[in-house]
Amino acid sequence: MDTLFTLATLAAAVRLAIPVAVAALGELVTERAGVLNLGLEGTMLFGALAGYLATLASGTPWLGLGGGLAAGAACGAVIALLVVVIRADQIVTGLAFTLFAVSATTYLFEQSYTIGQAPPRIPSLSMGPLVAIVLVVLAGVWFVLARTTAGLVLGATGEAPEAVDALGYRVPRVRTLATVAGSALAGLAGAMLVCGPLGLFVQNVTAGRGWVALALVVFARWRPGRAVAGALLFGLCDAAQLRLQGTATEIPYEVFLALPYVVTLLALVVRARRSGTPAALAVPFVRGGT
Amino acid sequence: MIAAALHGIRRSFGSAPALDGVDLELRAGEVHALLGENGAGKTTLMRILAGLDRPDEGTVEVAGQPIGEFSPRALRERGVAMVQQHFTLVPTLTAGENLALARPPGRLRPGARQAKRRVAELAERYGLPVRADVPVERLSVGEEQRLEILRALDADARLLILDEPTAVLVDSEAEALLRTCRALADDGRAVVIITHRLAEVFAGCDRVTVLRRGAVVCAGEPVADHDRASLATLMVGTAPTASSGRQRVPGAQVRLRLDGAARGRLQPLDLAVHAGEVLGVAGVDGNGQAELEELLAGIAAPERGAVTVDGEPVPVAAPRERVAGGIAYVPADRYRRALAGPLTVADNLELGRGPRHRPPAARRQARAEPVLAEWDVRGGGPAVPAASLSGGNAQKLVLARELAGGPRLVVAAQPTRGLDPEAARMISERILAAAADGAAVVWFGAELDELFAVADRLVVLAGGRATEPFTPPYDRGAVGLAMAGGHAS
Amino acid sequence: MTMTRDPATVPAPDGVLGRVLRGPDSRAASVAVPVGAVLAALVVGGVLMAVEGVAPLSAYGEVVLGVFGRTRGLIDTAVMATPLILLGLGVAVAYRARVFTIGAEGQYIAGALAGTAWATVGPPLPGLLLLVSGLAVAVLTGAAWSGVAAWMLARFGASVVITSLLLNYVAAAALAWAVRVGIRDPGSFTPQSRPLGAAALPDIPGTGVHLGFLVALLAVPALAAVLRRTRFGFRVEVLGAHPEVLAATEARPARTRLAVLALAGAFAGLAGFVEVAGVTERMTPAFATGYGFTAIIVALLGRLRPVGVLVAALLLAGLTVGFDEAERVFIIPSTTVGVIQALIVVFFVAGDALSRRPGRRRR
Repeated sequence: MDTLFTLATLAAAVRLAIPVAVAALGELVTERAGVLNLGLEGTMLFGALAGYLATLASGTPWLGLGGGLAAGAACGAVIALLVVVIRADQIVTGLAFTLFAVSATTYLFEQSYTIGQAPPRIPSLSMGPLVAIVLVVLAGVWFVLARTTAGLVLGATGEAPEAVDALGYRVPRVRTLATVAGSALAGLAGAMLVCGPLGLFVQNVTAGRGWVALALVVFARWRPGRAVAGALLFGLCDAAQLRLQGTATEIPYEVFLALPYVVTLLALVVRARRSGTPAALAVPFVRGGT
Repeated sequence: MIAAALHGIRRSFGSAPALDGVDLELRAGEVHALLGENGAGKTTLMRILAGLDRPDEGTVEVAGQPIGEFSPRALRERGVAMVQQHFTLVPTLTAGENLALARPPGRLRPGARQAKRRVAELAERYGLPVRADVPVERLSVGEEQRLEILRALDADARLLILDEPTAVLVDSEAEALLRTCRALADDGRAVVIITHRLAEVFAGCDRVTVLRRGAVVCAGEPVADHDRASLATLMVGTAPTASSGRQRVPGAQVRLRLDGAARGRLQPLDLAVHAGEVLGVAGVDGNGQAELEELLAGIAAPERGAVTVDGEPVPVAAPRERVAGGIAYVPADRYRRALAGPLTVADNLELGRGPRHRPPAARRQARAEPVLAEWDVRGGGPAVPAASLSGGNAQKLVLARELAGGPRLVVAAQPTRGLDPEAARMISERILAAAADGAAVVWFGAELDELFAVADRLVVLAGGRATEPFTPPYDRGAVGLAMAGGHAS
Repeated sequence: MTMTRDPATVPAPDGVLGRVLRGPDSRAASVAVPVGAVLAALVVGGVLMAVEGVAPLSAYGEVVLGVFGRTRGLIDTAVMATPLILLGLGVAVAYRARVFTIGAEGQYIAGALAGTAWATVGPPLPGLLLLVSGLAVAVLTGAAWSGVAAWMLARFGASVVITSLLLNYVAAAALAWAVRVGIRDPGSFTPQSRPLGAAALPDIPGTGVHLGFLVALLAVPALAAVLRRTRFGFRVEVLGAHPEVLAATEARPARTRLAVLALAGAFAGLAGFVEVAGVTERMTPAFATGYGFTAIIVALLGRLRPVGVLVAALLLAGLTVGFDEAERVFIIPSTTVGVIQALIVVFFVAGDALSRRPGRRRR
């Protein structure tokens, strides 16, 4: 245990937390407007691929990030078209989009290089700029949601759309914009994953981080700061788990694999208790399940 | 000065006209009462004026200018604001944030201090205190309503419509609200109060318009020219009272008994309904009928007291036991509680009854055929979705199911509402036949004529309390007065 | 002033879900949309192959031959379809009741894990008894795993979408631990469980297909019968149509939801153990392959009907098997079949939403 939280582990925790944090912030924006975007994982994948290809083409990872942002926004437009405009079911659409993205990005990726050769690596950004981007995104999301009229309308749309509608705002437009903006951040998150220390795209590179981000939004109770804190917690668990894999300890590393999700499940229980639902027996039971 | 004028307004929902050529003139500087029973068309008329609905025919002028586009924003820009019964505030935002949402001061939203100051200023100017530092969901209903009014005034509403504003208020708050309305009128605004309570018409209004079944029966006459009795008569009509002509069997056993049963708005109620008797329950929505309906049907348990049928408590949240216990339930909202729209007509006949193992669909439908024929349910037979039936046929379907097997208690909430006369007549007859076969019937009604025709006794619910039962021959004026809260004074 | 509510405008019980599935407007649309989605995806796939320089029709011909032209193709299709059918049936029941679980993957893992643990490190039982009891343990575990989400909904109002998703990860972690430590085969260098041995499923006599396929085939009419001919099936329909009507006339919605989720979990647990006992023979970290998510597509494409699930599962499995074969003949990227399957879903979702738009005003 004493060697668990070394500097290297902490650095790894931050590295692992970065894409999750940005994706969670994006999903948070979307969900605040009342859209549950289960296509987050798929959007991250498209963003990652776009980031990889744009970096490869331009030679600079900064343009890769731009590519991820743009690809994410495009994904958001498609999802918003399906969910907001033609009102397809949000859950089904999101799932379908993610499944589509897994196949489509793999397909497109394989088209991008000659089979038989190793796919080229790309120049990557160091941790400094990536952390800075997370902080900028966090500050931006917080500022828009907490300090601007646009954020007020966005939040109200997720809370009481009929009231917002009665005031003359257009709920579908607000939701479409929120979905596009949130997805753009998810695309950026994907690009940050491949344009960061990884410097490479591989099949299904996001490996479920989008789903983690989705859970983190619930864990964070839709607050930007807590989402980033949650991402750090996740990164810490992930780093601990990676570190423990090689060593024999009393604590199985799988506990850290499960921990972020169990904590989120607990958070759901605690949240409900606060809102007044009787819940006295809940926490011990779930704790027992860990 | 004319604040607004509506001419020849017609509006219908489905086949039923809600407004049938209504004229109305509102003047600046007055508090105008819009009076009528449930379903008279008051709210529909005012929603049109507020741009929340559009007329099928007719014109609306605000301050002399005709209205072309009916949208809340267009009408708000013309100075019309409506405070609806269901508030349209965002519950998670504070008062100041709700004001900023309606009228953003700029790209940035106001800081907490600034927002609070704006609320405080408005509150002081109009004498409507509202806490500014907590989310709206933690405000009292009175505060929420004051905030709704403040929001309208913040947008400089010249014509303010309040829909049943006192329904949610305690007496002292209601009085304060009426004083506020008076002050706003003195300020040169026009105020419309939609109400069914006579007391507040006399307490704070200048002129009164009465609607009955979508038509004006009293057009903007000074309140001073009227008394309670005359307005109550205008509301409920003057047609001769039809008598049910039914005679309660003396000495019949008590089937339904309420012993101090109370829940929510419904104050403790003692009641006994006998086998073969039809008890009418009259009253305006929101005075406890919904709670009573839910108690009798076992949707919810009484908070105090007991509800028993033949001495056994009504099973709560156990619908199949309710059915097995012979309690028939015809809910006011049939598509919310009685019929599953996407399922077939035959399946809907099976709700709450039927064996664990179901026969094949073909046989189920074959079994439904004679029932549908007996009840004259038309519209495509047993295999079509129930949602495709017309209102009358859908209601016949509900009754065909609920009255099967000789119920001991029939809870019928507005069983004929919105139906064509033929279907309404049939449904009345069948419910009365169930009573003749020994059921106790509780009939919640919105239309007095119908209740007078079917009920052996009649109670009025007002403010959650039941009046002493009325008996035939019914005194229309007295019942109307009781519905309008007349007993309180 | 309340008008009788149009059933089509009654708000969905889970507001956050937006519009939820309701029964198809017509029988024609219920078949036309999935068929159209499949055809459209095949056309797009053909275009992709044409761009690659492969003649689409001959490639598709090879795909068909890959399935029907040889015994192996049919066997592989049946084996691959087996878990998809079972998982898809469970998802279909839940979605019929409009209980949107995405936890099939976790229940599949949990069921397989518990069944394997029982059969490999549990009490020593004779072969058949071991198999049957292992199946029972898997079914119960899957049901319980799913029941946690139902319980959290009933007790705390926590969305099943989120809780069932989170439980997938907990199950995945449990799998990782179990094969590494908990039920590890001590004789193995890599983390994996002991083989099931006597609890393995035999083949259907005369075929190369394990008995699990027969179980899945039998489950289709069995579930269809439950849905059509029992009170529970009826309640599933009513719950899906309108929870409040269920509450006022039949049963408490929370209880029916619990039963629905438990049944979905039971099917997933069964699928998990059948896969171990019939195919992999032991648990490895690679056991979780995402079948639980594919099952959602299977259920949707199958229009949430048991027979539809069967057809959709066979179709998706057949496409995969057929393309595997076609790749030997043509130079087709191995991911083409994935793209086509994914396009089927996307087209289906869009087509389904569009087909529901007109004619929704019913009275």
